[in-house]
Amino acid sequence: MTNKALPQTSPQAVYLDDPGQCRSHVSRRTLLRGAGAALALPWLEAMMPRTARASNVAEKDHSDSPIRMAALFVPNGVRQDAWTPESEGREFTLSPTLEPLAELKDQLLVLTNLWNQASDFGDGHYVKTSGFLTCTTINKSLGIDLNCNGRSMDQVAAAHSSAHTPLPSLELGIDPVTTGVDTNVGYTRVYGSHIAWSGPTSPLARELNPRYVFERIFRAAHPRQETLKRDAQLLDRVLGDAKELQRRLGASDRQRMDEYLQSVRSIEQRLQHQQEGKHGSAWKPIVDVDIKKRPPGELPDQHEEHVRLMLDMIALAFQTDTTRVCTFMFGNAVSGRNFSFLEGVTAGHHDASHHENNEDKLRQYQRINRWHVEQYAYLLGKLRNMQERETTVLDNSMILYGSGLRDGNGHNPHNLPILVGGRGGGSLAAGQHLSYSRDTPLANLYTAMLKAFGCDTKSFADSTGALVNVLT
Amino acid sequence: MSSRFVLSICTTALLLTRAMGDETESVAVDELRSAPSVAMTDVMAVAFVKRYCIDCHSASDPEADLNLASFASTADVAASIKQWNKISERVGGDQMPPEGSDAPPQSSRQAFVDWIRKSIHAATCDDGITPGPPQLRRLNQDEYANTVRDLLGIQINAGHALPADGAGGEGFDNASETLFFSPIHAEKYFDAANVALSHALTNPDTRDRFIPAKPAEDFQPLAEARVVLADFLPKAFRRPLRDAELDEYTQLFALAYDEDGEFASAIQFALRAALVSPKFLFLWEEPNSQEGPVLVSQFELASRLSYFLWASMPDAKLMELAAGGQLHDEQVLAGQVARMLRSDISTEGLRRGAKVRNFAASFTEQWLGTRALGREFQPDPVVSEHYDSELAGGMKYEPVFFFEDLLADNRSLLNLIDADFTYLNKRLANHYQVPGEFREQPKKVELPADGHRGGLLGMSAILAVSSRPYRTSPVLRGKWIMDTFFGTSPPPPPPNVGALDEGDLAVPTSLRERLEQHRADPACASCHATMDQLGFGLENYDVLGRWRTEVDGIPVDARGELPDGTAFDGPAALKRLLLDRKQQFIRHLTSKMLGYALARELTNEDDCVVEDIVAELEENDYRSHTLIVEIVKSVLFRYKQGQNRQAAVVHPTPAAANSDAAAQLSGQHQPLEENRRDK
Repeated sequence: MTNKALPQTSPQAVYLDDPGQCRSHVSRRTLLRGAGAALALPWLEAMMPRTARASNVAEKDHSDSPIRMAALFVPNGVRQDAWTPESEGREFTLSPTLEPLAELKDQLLVLTNLWNQASDFGDGHYVKTSGFLTCTTINKSLGIDLNCNGRSMDQVAAAHSSAHTPLPSLELGIDPVTTGVDTNVGYTRVYGSHIAWSGPTSPLARELNPRYVFERIFRAAHPRQETLKRDAQLLDRVLGDAKELQRRLGASDRQRMDEYLQSVRSIEQRLQHQQEGKHGSAWKPIVDVDIKKRPPGELPDQHEEHVRLMLDMIALAFQTDTTRVCTFMFGNAVSGRNFSFLEGVTAGHHDASHHENNEDKLRQYQRINRWHVEQYAYLLGKLRNMQERETTVLDNSMILYGSGLRDGNGHNPHNLPILVGGRGGGSLAAGQHLSYSRDTPLANLYTAMLKAFGCDTKSFADSTGALVNVLT
Repeated sequence: MSSRFVLSICTTALLLTRAMGDETESVAVDELRSAPSVAMTDVMAVAFVKRYCIDCHSASDPEADLNLASFASTADVAASIKQWNKISERVGGDQMPPEGSDAPPQSSRQAFVDWIRKSIHAATCDDGITPGPPQLRRLNQDEYANTVRDLLGIQINAGHALPADGAGGEGFDNASETLFFSPIHAEKYFDAANVALSHALTNPDTRDRFIPAKPAEDFQPLAEARVVLADFLPKAFRRPLRDAELDEYTQLFALAYDEDGEFASAIQFALRAALVSPKFLFLWEEPNSQEGPVLVSQFELASRLSYFLWASMPDAKLMELAAGGQLHDEQVLAGQVARMLRSDISTEGLRRGAKVRNFAASFTEQWLGTRALGREFQPDPVVSEHYDSELAGGMKYEPVFFFEDLLADNRSLLNLIDADFTYLNKRLANHYQVPGEFREQPKKVELPADGHRGGLLGMSAILAVSSRPYRTSPVLRGKWIMDTFFGTSPPPPPPNVGALDEGDLAVPTSLRERLEQHRADPACASCHATMDQLGFGLENYDVLGRWRTEVDGIPVDARGELPDGTAFDGPAALKRLLLDRKQQFIRHLTSKMLGYALARELTNEDDCVVEDIVAELEENDYRSHTLIVEIVKSVLFRYKQGQNRQAAVVHPTPAAANSDAAAQLSGQHQPLEENRRDK
């Protein structure tokens, strides 16, 4: 593991000054006045009066082909020499690791030489996981002062699309939060277990059981009308309790209660979506959810089955338009998952990634990389098979795939392995291998993706503009 | 007088001083060598640093960014405590000076470490103890499940669908700073409350508490609901109700009741709101608006105690003592600790269902890292042909039951290093080849005197999580001992140093030979010379902790030699060696326990309390109750910070004399209302 010293000043929370902030119902002045408290708010929505939020719901986007965005995170990097395609442009040849994507080449962007400068500090894994979608430098911390100093790009997108869907976003994973703190490097493993941050101090917990994801999707589509009213009354009570406690707290402690308020309000928002009322008709899924397709209640023993069921849920959530934003972690940072179910693999994932250029370890490492790409291809294929008018759900999606470090042996965030699948509703110039000048900011890609998503984004975190040649 | 003359006098004086200084230093070093039991002075410490450290830790590019060139006195230690803690750790853990450099004799090494600790203690502790802020934290997954179970009297795990919580602070998942609240939590709490309440309201054993058994003719639903809520809400919120609260929840009942006249569904509705209210989901302490620290309120102390020792809500007894203003009383506290740690053991050696197990499990699984078993650690099929759920259960519970035993029966904590008993179920007894009658439940058993088991290091859960999935690793096991027993976590390998290939089980002799390279390379040796050698001592255990005397036909070599020359052979000898370092072990265990009790990361100031408790433990045979009682009595546990974060408690209110003061401080609380339903 590398162990570089932290810079004198870490990049600040860029997104607050970001003109590309997707929605800003709060004036800058209010934000500045609120200083500390405002920084802590996961969704700025907190400051919106209720009627303002309700009217958002009324402004529903009735387009039948919404744009969706997902980010799939893979721990431990990739075998470099088997990742990058040799030629560029539209006539590129897939590398050995990317071969499983052969059928989907025309829907794929392979991006070379992007880097995440803000994560080039601290340690080999945690900084590069929590910072993967934020492009900020996280605080070195075992817990106190835990802060990602930003907000992940998926949450910027979710703030934009949440007015249209019952769930603002889905955070999914396979491994529970890794236990303990890593005293070797001085980071809590919480950092290695989250990529989605709704605010600087609020990582978003993930759902690990596909059955529960299904139930959330199903419930969104089939609300029990008779309980909606009571649920709303109940929410009023507990929001009242939270505000009462909030009033008694000192400024520095308010952020936890803010998280509570925001989380409970996300349920309130779902209820509003589901109710027929003065704000228009209740939300309906684009296609209905079939209860017979419910995954088993017990977590599958087999890793591959677990992963595929989760990917199925992403596809279902997107197809039904239950949410338009999703993040998924194949594993937590430093994952030592045993891949011996793959032929010829005996080492754990992290072990194999520390290959020391040993030929056998490299071979195993590459096999594990390729398996992950196969799962990615499975998801893309599934979305492509979902017809949506004259297009497919994949045509209307942007599915990011990547790792926070290049090579598991070197742990550096230069030339990250990054793919994007789908056409983003026609905004993405898919079907190319694009190689940029060395150390082009990864945040430039995120800026471009947010643009394609419909955000008026000029810049995200340390970006210098939207990545060129990606948008049509 | 010319200026030149002045200069010359000064120079002479300076030279003279330096000469004297050098002389003092050389005397000091001699003193160190000849009379090692002498406590170190500042001058001797400076001499020690000059002799053993400064060659690498000075100049423009010092090793590890540590420059000791200007080090002159105890004041320098006080000025950078964090750095000196690290130095004490590295020197005390034999990692510094590195192998191959001039090494101090063990006695002066120890004297230097003692001097650092004393300097830090003096710098941080003389001004009194600074408590942490009032608590505001969400119940974690386990606490939520335990609390719902105890509150409703039902035997279901209401927290099973909640996301697992990460750890912060001292490595525990009760740390307030890492207990976030995400939208998914809100969804889960809403669902879980419904499931749990449906259970409680339909179960004949619990139903009567919430639904009047036989509605009389003059049944008054609102009044009845009010009685139910007046009993339930203070328990759920762990404090007496504030003025409007009972009305607010009764109104909620009325909203639902007016709709359909169904008492059961309306009361369930109001109770459900209480279970998703932040007043229930968060441990919430009244902010302290005063300048300096104050005692936590009686009811806050009840919750601090119960979430520490039960990972659950306070019971009726604790609430009663709090209402009576008695909990801050030292005698009462000690009595409650003993009561709360109790767990009865049957004549067959079985322990069942004590609430202290929540604590034993939560603390040990996280301190020892055994929670990773079945999560981050999955044994590879090639080594786990006999691994099944019953064995996994036995492995997982052995350290939990063992620790519960130490707590319940007030045993010496040194049993953790070595003991003559453990807890085994049938599969694990078979795994260990311990004879006797066993069933699926772990049972207490005397261990054979072969020295193979006894203490944590003979427990298979620990031996497994400190292995690779497919083979043992002396490096990881040695690191586990340093981390877990002594808190001397080695830093990650420096950049650009290639890792050694520990290789394959197929060539076990060359594994040791290859690891010996660690000692040959000074960059590796400073840590590995200790780490690998400790790990070799456990080579008689395979990945899953089975005893073995040979690997693939080659006899196991379990010898090790530490940098100070101490040699040992096998686990029994290793444990004796670790017992020689019991002070360091106990200090680390104490700080872990304190971090768990306070649910936060410790500060340098908190170490003062650790040192005091360690001294108390040394005088009391390292008994478990001493550890817990001393933590609970400490300023850190009983006080909360005021507006001035630096303000310390210099003379803590003697617990026996403070019940009036405590009652005043908790003045906002009224006694519990005595309006329980008559059955």
